[in-house]
Amino acid sequence: MKCYREEEAVDYCIVGVGSAGAVLLQRLARAGFKVVGLEAGPFWDTERDWVSDEAGSHQLYWTDLRITGGSDPIALGENNSGRGVGGGSVHWAAFVPRLHPSDFRTYTEDGVGCDWPISYKDLKPYYELIEREMPAAGPAWFTWGDPHGYPYGPHPMGGVGDTLVRGCTKLGIRVCAGGPVAILSGSRADRPHCIYRGFCIQGCKVGAKQSTLISHVPDAIAHGAEIRDRSMVARIHLGPNRRVNAVTYFDRDGREHVQRARAIIVCGYAIETPRLLFNSACPGFEQGLANSSGLLGHYLMVQAGNVVAGRFPDLVRLYKAPPAHAMTEEFYETDPKRDFARGFAVQTVGPLPIAFAKQMAKAKGAWGWGLREVMMDYNHWSTLGVLGEILPAYDNKIELAEEKDDFGLPVAHVTFSLHENDHKMIRFAVKKVEEILLAAGAKEVVEEQRYAHLVGAARMGTRPENSIVDGFCRTHDIANLFICDGSVFPTQGSANPGLTIQALAARTADYLNQQGEAIFTSSHVSREKPPVRRDLSPPVTFGSGVPRV
Amino acid sequence: MKQIGYYPGYSTLAQKDFWDDATRAVVLKRLEPPAPLRFFGPGEAERLEAVVNQILPQDDRPAERRIAIVPELDKRLYEHRGPGYRYADMPPDGEAYRMGLRAIEEIAQHLFGAEFLYLRNRERDQVLFTLHDGEPPAAKAIFARMSVKHFWLMLVNDVAEVYYAHPWAWDEIGFGGPAYPRGYMRLERGEPEPWEKPEQRYEWAAPEDSLSGECRPLPGSHL
Repeated sequence: MKCYREEEAVDYCIVGVGSAGAVLLQRLARAGFKVVGLEAGPFWDTERDWVSDEAGSHQLYWTDLRITGGSDPIALGENNSGRGVGGGSVHWAAFVPRLHPSDFRTYTEDGVGCDWPISYKDLKPYYELIEREMPAAGPAWFTWGDPHGYPYGPHPMGGVGDTLVRGCTKLGIRVCAGGPVAILSGSRADRPHCIYRGFCIQGCKVGAKQSTLISHVPDAIAHGAEIRDRSMVARIHLGPNRRVNAVTYFDRDGREHVQRARAIIVCGYAIETPRLLFNSACPGFEQGLANSSGLLGHYLMVQAGNVVAGRFPDLVRLYKAPPAHAMTEEFYETDPKRDFARGFAVQTVGPLPIAFAKQMAKAKGAWGWGLREVMMDYNHWSTLGVLGEILPAYDNKIELAEEKDDFGLPVAHVTFSLHENDHKMIRFAVKKVEEILLAAGAKEVVEEQRYAHLVGAARMGTRPENSIVDGFCRTHDIANLFICDGSVFPTQGSANPGLTIQALAARTADYLNQQGEAIFTSSHVSREKPPVRRDLSPPVTFGSGVPRV
Repeated sequence: MKQIGYYPGYSTLAQKDFWDDATRAVVLKRLEPPAPLRFFGPGEAERLEAVVNQILPQDDRPAERRIAIVPELDKRLYEHRGPGYRYADMPPDGEAYRMGLRAIEEIAQHLFGAEFLYLRNRERDQVLFTLHDGEPPAAKAIFARMSVKHFWLMLVNDVAEVYYAHPWAWDEIGFGGPAYPRGYMRLERGEPEPWEKPEQRYEWAAPEDSLSGECRPLPGSHL
């Protein structure tokens, strides 16, 4: 691997080598830029470090302390926060639906949330690129949003998907089986296909599930990118002329370093990104770097992720097959017949025993002999997840707490509360999933209230007064500082955010390539849309797989 | 004593030769004798053991097949390993455990005028149900500083995490266990793999002197 000297200013320093960071690193390296990625967690040796075991996989998650409050506090850690090269894509379930065209204009269409500064059309070519780079498996015709097909064929069904398909079919609800997921249904190059062992969110040892660790990082390194793992960035430095010029970070031994760079891209996800910018406050930016709007940390979102579980007389064996393997988006869009705006998806989830026991502790109030008994029926349960659009709210936010981490940096304090539209959507969605499970033959249905997927807190928008970054993920305040990760989402739709995060990164990379040296030297902000660069795809990805366009 | 659960003769460990090395090392470590406690003192450990025995009772398992839970809780707290977050209405995890144990003592004294350790099975369950229901009748000072709900769920979650991480618990519930690199080939209709066992159900009932066999919804549940 290439090794840059710290006093040598690289072109781009990327903070966080996860879903977005790795895609940026790979494309910028391929385009010939000098790039360094700093990642707080380790560089995984997947065969040695990962295990086919629930309790043994905690290292994949961000387990450093954070404080979580508000009237409906969010569980963090394994629920939604990754750590290590590949970031959250290492432990995601890998559902990869696109956002719908309507998601980019909820304010115009429904009078809620806000419009994105970009449209579905802007992102569509990047959805197509990334789906082929992953590559994604799914139906030949995905019927919702902007209909499209997937490069790899759908996966065989597991027991949980089977209940979803049976229930939906009984009720006349359209449903799709076997994807869309970023899991190989056929082998490709050196990556084998899925073995259906069900440990997706413990890290895919097989290499069938995409993570940027296996899809983009090797190509990034081959093209001269450097990744420094176990390197926790503490602060971004502001230099003369309102331009950033370096970061301070701690290495694996706790030693402090400064890496100089001509431009910086923060890819730390919805909590660590605002935390780093707050911790980088300096004269001129007293309330946080790039935060002249005062909106940094605000409009944090999670999706409603309520799990509805049904007990069946026959065996389901929910631990087999990827947790993500069937879904419906039939309730995704605003329906004037309902008393709330926007909607939700219904997806399979396949909790392994520990996760299921915790769900039953909450959903049934099970403990003691009751917990033992319900767990003995583990193989009779099927679990479906609501994935519902919670609207952005100003008072849902990240701030700095009093407490500090091992490096002496203040940790994040998260505040989250549901609002009226959210409550109505969730009640309706849970009821609908209950109907589906009963139609499929469930004899008992219970619900665990929970959340999935963090996004927001450094939203993109049209103007410096209403947002932190523009449509190309460039901060309004500082011309050579970018934020590219889930935190830039102004609204979230009811689609899992991973694909959109990677697609946004690919688009931002094209923009940076088109701008070239201007990013490093000029304060002029171009809004010109970049041409789509297919030659930046990792090898054997673009256009590979089952031919289908 | 007959194997507990509906899959008699099923053993995930019997498949360990088919697991990858890293996974096998992690799982087999759980069969080793537990390490000495470092976080909890002897008195605390005895009381925590009594609480844990109610939350995850194992009286029906042969003595040599009971899964040690307290040592794992102790290890997590000693090593300051957390889930990655703390609720704003909670003290740090270790402190919460110590406060929680004191609170359970106060509730036992309030309800029965005796230490938790000297209560009968049903009385112990009654004490714990007051936490489950979010209405502890005593220990007001403690619960002014700590959420009952979040303490209770942390306790149940932590205990469940240790128990259901153990291969003996996997045998009990018919979970397939580690499956790399072999994977599964029979995905639908709950069919067993060749090395799994078909289900053989029998009438199951919690011991008569306990209360926890009947699940009661947590406050605020919807369905």
